[in-house]
Amino acid sequence: MKRSIPTVIGLAAAASLLAAGCGGGSSSDSDSASGPVTLTLAGWSLSTTPEFKTLADGFHATHPDVTVEVKEYDAANYDTQITADLAAGSAPDIYAQKTLKNLYTYATGGQLMDVSDVAKKLSNSVGGLDAYQVDGKTYAIPYRQDSWVLFYNKELFDKAKVAYPDGSWTWDDYVTAAKQLTDGLKAAGSKAVGTYQHVWQSTVQGFALAQTPGAKLTSGDFSYLKPYYERSLDLQNAGAQPSLGTATTNKLTYQAQFGKQQAAMLPMGTWYIATLLAQRESGDADKFDWGIAPAPQFDKSTTGTSNTPVTFGDPTGFGINTAIKKSKISAAKEFLAYAAGPEGAKALAGIGITPADTAAVTDTFFALDGMPTDELSKFAFAKHDTKPENPVSKYTAGLQNILNDAHTAILSGSKSIDSALGEAQNRAKNEVLNQ
Amino acid sequence: MTTLPGVRRRRSRLVWRNTVVGWTFILPNFAGFAALTLVPVVVLFYVAFTNWNVFGVADWTGLANFRRMIHDASFRTALQNTVYYTVLHIPLTLAASLGLALLLNRKLRGLGFFRTAAFFPYITSIVALTYVWNLLFSPEYGPINGFLRAIGIAHPPGWTTSADWSMPAVIIVGTWREMGYYMLLYLAGLQTIPAELYEAARVDGANAWQRFRSVTLPGLRPTTFLVAVLLTIGSFKVFDVILLLTNGGPGQSTLVLSQFIYQKGFVENQFGYASAVSIVLFAICFLVTAIQFLVNKRRNA
Repeated sequence: MKRSIPTVIGLAAAASLLAAGCGGGSSSDSDSASGPVTLTLAGWSLSTTPEFKTLADGFHATHPDVTVEVKEYDAANYDTQITADLAAGSAPDIYAQKTLKNLYTYATGGQLMDVSDVAKKLSNSVGGLDAYQVDGKTYAIPYRQDSWVLFYNKELFDKAKVAYPDGSWTWDDYVTAAKQLTDGLKAAGSKAVGTYQHVWQSTVQGFALAQTPGAKLTSGDFSYLKPYYERSLDLQNAGAQPSLGTATTNKLTYQAQFGKQQAAMLPMGTWYIATLLAQRESGDADKFDWGIAPAPQFDKSTTGTSNTPVTFGDPTGFGINTAIKKSKISAAKEFLAYAAGPEGAKALAGIGITPADTAAVTDTFFALDGMPTDELSKFAFAKHDTKPENPVSKYTAGLQNILNDAHTAILSGSKSIDSALGEAQNRAKNEVLNQ
Repeated sequence: MTTLPGVRRRRSRLVWRNTVVGWTFILPNFAGFAALTLVPVVVLFYVAFTNWNVFGVADWTGLANFRRMIHDASFRTALQNTVYYTVLHIPLTLAASLGLALLLNRKLRGLGFFRTAAFFPYITSIVALTYVWNLLFSPEYGPINGFLRAIGIAHPPGWTTSADWSMPAVIIVGTWREMGYYMLLYLAGLQTIPAELYEAARVDGANAWQRFRSVTLPGLRPTTFLVAVLLTIGSFKVFDVILLLTNGGPGQSTLVLSQFIYQKGFVENQFGYASAVSIVLFAICFLVTAIQFLVNKRRNA
């Protein structure tokens, strides 16, 4: 009896190893060069993110022999789940790049097809293309390019008797206005505060990286963040915006803070336009007069409607899985070109989503019910120099984690700006940039 | 002793049959364990010596991951925080669960209700629990600080939003959540202590404290040992409470080893390094548990 135990364990382990080994790569290729093609596409939260379905249907309408099937993934764990499916060889033919953080891993890991030929054919009004390059090759094609702007509530501005943003604001003007709004609203008997900067590190660091001359994430020198954090702390201390602690412990959402008129301003990405419109209809947001203004600027050199305001935002794009069947590649590339091109842009604008080619669709976009009609809103939507929040590199994911620690340490008041940034620089040098 | 060949054959056939029957019973469980736990663990020990990023080939890098760990300040922070959590969480939970068990081991109106109430946190969804605790801990509007202000503490702690208080806050929630489970183990342990021992002690004139020291505690030693081992392993592996309550912050004040592993592996795609840290965590758990077993054995001897 004693002797047989190890034997049986060994046998069972071997059998299960064999079973695990077989599970992975059993994708049989049945090449069908002619006839209808079915492409699979990875997306997330299909009920609240209608863009995948819209693009799939729109593409099918113009290419009747190609059907695009959307496979749903969990929004919060999208990259983890896609990674697992890619490693198992069961990922869809085309998968969206939700953020730029993981592009480097996918591209260098041989999971993304080189689509430089698609990129070459696109018009140069498609924003965000450069962001998908690794070593001179393009690995994904953007179909939407959100940019951060300043949302504001005109009714709360009127109530507090503060002038609307006019496109000339620097961050100091923004801070002054937020304080005036808070005081004015308090005097008018309202509980709303001046502004709401959500808990994400992007609300501070994204702007600082995009706007500060010479700032570079991979330099490991984070001193460019200091003035931006000084202003955020100033706003928190003045009560002009909820502190990070209040926002995290009470799980505040930016949709409710702005949509339910708890804050008069909200720096946020243009994706929020579609959400706000939908929530006005569903009653999750109040119906009030609102507008968008260009993001406040680093200094006066980029303010005013005759200049191009600098802001940030990561594009969202589609990449092709290298495991795709050969017969489907040309259809997949056509789909990428369609999604980035003017037809895809119009389809996306029709549902309130900011396409990569914004210039082509501003009129369609502002014709939607509930949109503001003032000129500044149109300017803010159509014209900006949008820099990536996560410039693609081997170090991006690691550096952003370190900077997120610095973000919570500073805004919770646990550490001074200097010591938190100093520590972040040390960590970047010793834990990420030396790898 | 002379046995006929036929008898021996029959006996060995019987042994073989028993073995097969036994293993058949275990097989369904073992197959699942092997596929989902054993094989990944074996693979982990290989991956820890490579620089694998999930895709493609894992290059053998020898001890590079472990050398990197020695110089990694974040790893040290995570290790310190894990020890901090463990050192406070184990005695607190032990004391709280023992206290609860003693309280609820007597005849009492509504006993069933109180026992259920104490056990409830353990079976409630951790996501809901941490959501509510975060509201309670809210520095400006939370009821906890409201109470502290009411009793005259002008500057109550910032709890999950302050680097100094986030770990105590996490420990409080961890202890509160788990004490009901260990209370159940203690209640079972208390039933096994014969009532005669208490009677004898009483006859000898022992007061309540002496009875507790000399009868209850020794009688509970096997249970205490089990609880201590389970708590140690659970504390070193703590993950969900922290991830949901503070996500390691503010700064790195509540970053623990399992979260560090998660970050390196699933966020930064450094599965080789993450596996190496997992091995260290495993070694720590193994060592501490082994020491506990040794100490227990010596005491029993």
